[in-house]
Amino acid sequence: MSAQPQVTPTVSLQARNLTKSFSSGPIHHTVLHDLTLDVHAGELTLISGPSGCGKSTLLAILSGLQAADSGHVMALGQDLGVLGMRELERFRLLHTGFVFQGFNLFPALNALEQVELPLSYLGLAPGEARRRAVASLEEVGMGPRMELRPSELSGGEKQRVAIARALAKEPGLLFADEPTSALDAANGQIVIDMLHRIARTHGTTVLCVSHDPRLVGHADRVLAMEDGRILSDRVPSATLTSGHEDPSA
Amino acid sequence: MVALARKTLIYEWRRFLPAILAVGFAGLLQLLQAALVLGIFGSASVYITGSSADLWAGYPGTQSVNLGRSIDSGVEMRLRMDPAVTAVEPFHWVDADWRGPSDTGGVSVFVSGINARPDGMLFAHALPPALRARLNEPDAVIVDRADLDSLGVKVGDSAVINGHRVRVVGVSSGLRALGGVNVVASLATAAELDTDPSNANRMTYFVAKLRDPALADDVAARLRGTSAFGKYDVWTAQDFARRSQLYWMFDTGAGAGVLFLAGIVFLVGAVITSQTLVAAVIGSVREYATLNALGVGVGALRRVVMEQAFWVGALGLIGSTLLGAIALAIARSRSVPVALDPWTTLACLALGMGLAIVSGLAAMRSLRRADPATLLR
Repeated sequence: MSAQPQVTPTVSLQARNLTKSFSSGPIHHTVLHDLTLDVHAGELTLISGPSGCGKSTLLAILSGLQAADSGHVMALGQDLGVLGMRELERFRLLHTGFVFQGFNLFPALNALEQVELPLSYLGLAPGEARRRAVASLEEVGMGPRMELRPSELSGGEKQRVAIARALAKEPGLLFADEPTSALDAANGQIVIDMLHRIARTHGTTVLCVSHDPRLVGHADRVLAMEDGRILSDRVPSATLTSGHEDPSA
Repeated sequence: MVALARKTLIYEWRRFLPAILAVGFAGLLQLLQAALVLGIFGSASVYITGSSADLWAGYPGTQSVNLGRSIDSGVEMRLRMDPAVTAVEPFHWVDADWRGPSDTGGVSVFVSGINARPDGMLFAHALPPALRARLNEPDAVIVDRADLDSLGVKVGDSAVINGHRVRVVGVSSGLRALGGVNVVASLATAAELDTDPSNANRMTYFVAKLRDPALADDVAARLRGTSAFGKYDVWTAQDFARRSQLYWMFDTGAGAGVLFLAGIVFLVGAVITSQTLVAAVIGSVREYATLNALGVGVGALRRVVMEQAFWVGALGLIGSTLLGAIALAIARSRSVPVALDPWTTLACLALGMGLAIVSGLAAMRSLRRADPATLLR
């Protein structure tokens, strides 16, 4: 065993005993069963599982978009359960980025403006917001096309703009929900590589939810989820170089 | 700051066009309605607004200038005795029956007996001096050009008023009346036409000019205090004109009708505008939800919606103002009675903007659907 990781990965996101259930009339459906989880900074963690397994609900709770019925979420050392709606918005503004399956870009704005828009609410000076927006668009390879509107961009390019929008805030936490499912194989590859690189180079905690099996090889850690429980937690072979031990090696 | 509201408005103008048109037409309707009402009911006080007098003395409680009752001629002396008064002039009002040379049936006319001298106060704004001088001819009368048809005469024709022959010596504009036809004559001619014997030595009104018109309120208060010459009251021209207009507006029920119609226009405009804005918000609800997920507060998103509502209102009202100006110019050129003062214009435009703001508030409610948790499936 080479089991001496040089650095113990920092736990940036902690879930303790989360439960969540939904009621629709007389039908009561439990989505998360007493779920406990640690997610590390600087890694791309992938939660995979069939649709309806509760992975999106888990993402919503971990990112502060939804409250759990019971249990705690500690994000970057902050207990999300004690924050009100305004404080949660503020926390998300300062610390979290999101990438969704639909790109959700404003049709009227060009790529640069899409990325600048949330920055302007951070209270950055216009020059600084512009500089950061240009830098993140360049990082996702959209520098030459940042004057274009969504209608002039391909699906892959739109998702890269959405990633730049999330990245420009320099968030500690980046959440991605099925980021590749609206894309073809090549673009899906580009996007997941990009998310992986962001985790490595920025030290960002990237938590990605997907049922797309092609992504498994690109993650630092894969959590398989089913029926509201985590069934397995493993490090895929392709990321052997990350310093984790792989039993199959 | 990225101007999301304005850029969306420009890029998706087709989506917002119905709202802009709704605000624009609502504003236009309010403007034209106000202009027509002010124009039509303004003619109730044409005797006052068309004259240069500062004060009017008449029978106490007179509700409208056409409802005057005669007062003692001695009031003229009382007015002249006040040091602030520089000129006093009688105004003889006669309700009369007109028979023209052609068959027009009975036409109810209001004869205004006025001082025909060039410096006369009554109808100073409505009668040019040359025309006014022609009233000095015996039995001469002047009517509005637009009334010639209903009177069945041409300039130079003779007609009979209260059994007395008169001759139309000229026409003017701006003399149209409500509820009848205005006929202007000299004081002497009017006295001949007045068949009521009780009006001898009495006059319907006395009007006065003041050294300083700004003091009209004070002088009127001072003059109405005495009763040495029988019952009379003194009003400023502005008060008396407003009182006459309000009498007509509410006596005829037109005022209530106008308010009712203004309410309907507001309601219809608000329904169309709010529905359009709601559709625009719903069309962008996923993008708004994404912004909220990224931490942009609901308050900031609401401001975007309200800013859109404001611009929709502003663009619509620019349209109303332009179309309204054109419509009023056309109406004036066709002798349609229209009048609009700056305050009424502002009130109409404010109502239009209020409509847009109310619609924005209604659309803001649909931002509740911008829940970022719904973006996760």
